Amino acid sequence: MKQPFFNYLKDKAMVKAEHLPVLIALVQEKEFKKGALLLSEGQVCQHAFFIEKGLTRLYSIDEENREHVVQFAPENGFISDRESLYFGKPSVFFIEALEDTSAILFNQDFIKTASEISPEFRNYNEYLLQNHIRQLQNRIHLLIGADAKKRYLNFIQLYPSLTLRVPQWMIASYLGITPESLSRIRKELVTRKSK
Amino acid sequence: MITRNVEVIVPPKEPHYVGDGFRVHNFIPSAYRLDMKRMDPFIMMDYNSKFYFPPSETPRGVGVHPHRGFETVTIAYKGKVAHHDSSGGGGIIAEGDVQWMTAASGVLHKEYHEENFSKQGGDFQMVQLWVNLPATYKMSKPKYQGISHENMEKVALPDNSGIVEVIAGSYQNAKGSATTFSPLHLLNARLNKSGKANFDFPKSYNTALLVIEGSIKINGTEQVPTDHFALFENNGTAFNIEALENAVVLILSGEPLNEPIATHGPFVMNTKQEIIQAIDDFNNGKFGTLND
Repeated sequence: MKQPFFNYLKDKAMVKAEHLPVLIALVQEKEFKKGALLLSEGQVCQHAFFIEKGLTRLYSIDEENREHVVQFAPENGFISDRESLYFGKPSVFFIEALEDTSAILFNQDFIKTASEISPEFRNYNEYLLQNHIRQLQNRIHLLIGADAKKRYLNFIQLYPSLTLRVPQWMIASYLGITPESLSRIRKELVTRKSK
Repeated sequence: MITRNVEVIVPPKEPHYVGDGFRVHNFIPSAYRLDMKRMDPFIMMDYNSKFYFPPSETPRGVGVHPHRGFETVTIAYKGKVAHHDSSGGGGIIAEGDVQWMTAASGVLHKEYHEENFSKQGGDFQMVQLWVNLPATYKMSKPKYQGISHENMEKVALPDNSGIVEVIAGSYQNAKGSATTFSPLHLLNARLNKSGKANFDFPKSYNTALLVIEGSIKINGTEQVPTDHFALFENNGTAFNIEALENAVVLILSGEPLNEPIATHGPFVMNTKQEIIQAIDDFNNGKFGTLND
């Protein structure tokens, strides 16, 4: 089908009608059951993923078996391990489907070919790259310079649909706080609102 | 008065669909010699040549899409289009009507075959033209100008030659009701067989015509068949057309803006930075909301 990716290229990247079928033919679509891993630690990441349906997360596991969530990607989001995909290093991350997920798989060759075929794609890819860097910059800034409440509010704004789809402990992990602290923050916010 | 010669006559390219309701031949900017700089301030022209759409319960058309930095001009020759946008505007463009939408700082917009037209089916024929906005006005407030066929300024030509409808700019002493942000003329000549019309535009104005119905001869020498586009040189001011059979001709002439152009799909700005801003604003919902 690849319809959501087709629509994304058409409506967001503004790829011209005549280029759409060519680009679509270059990517692969794959289904993942809830709990399936799209990437495991130690593998070299072969694809970037565009999430058509479902939800995924990028995370690592430390020596004490604690999970650290780096990123979520719901519908219309992209997820990959750039160090592994672009620089060919074994990954330190896992990518997991948190719901039954349908994803588009593509690699660097696709980016290169698509950019040659479609100037619109090239522009949009550059925008996405810059936007991703911006998000990472903001995330670092919040992690080192903002309190947990501010980080949580930012999370809600960035991922409005996720607070109900993701277990609280995963959100806490993403924010770099304990589930207990998150629970306290949520309680505070609710009390303040109801006053 | 120096004669303006024809530079090139462009046949219609293979049609493609915009959404599922507009089967168009693109002339500007994809045809040979009709790029945005050459045609400045006209940056896009899609022509839905006369095409029969069979009845459909679900109106065909094109779903929600953004625009920023220019104006869209829809000229209906056959059929009816209904449109809606994120500023709450909307309406129906019927046969002979023109809709002039100044997208400027940005709108979300959708266009469909009007419901009854869609149910009955019928011939559909339209032009959509994009007119670039000068840098100063690119981020101004969006607006609409609806020009109904009934209220359109018309000039009767001598010797029962036919009429010239003035959409924008002027013809002889008649002024079109559409206001524009840079000097330009947009006219429909509806000529009877053997009818003649003369035109005169400043030399620097980029000038062209599209034969919607029938066929014509330009300056007594160049024959232009139906659905063909003629671009004029900028070597003179005046030209004349003669209808070889009953004909409808769209004439456009505008002063070039001579400003840098940066584009990304339906965003047409002056710099790459402004394009990035447009993409960002679109992704952050700053074009407003409009349901499919």
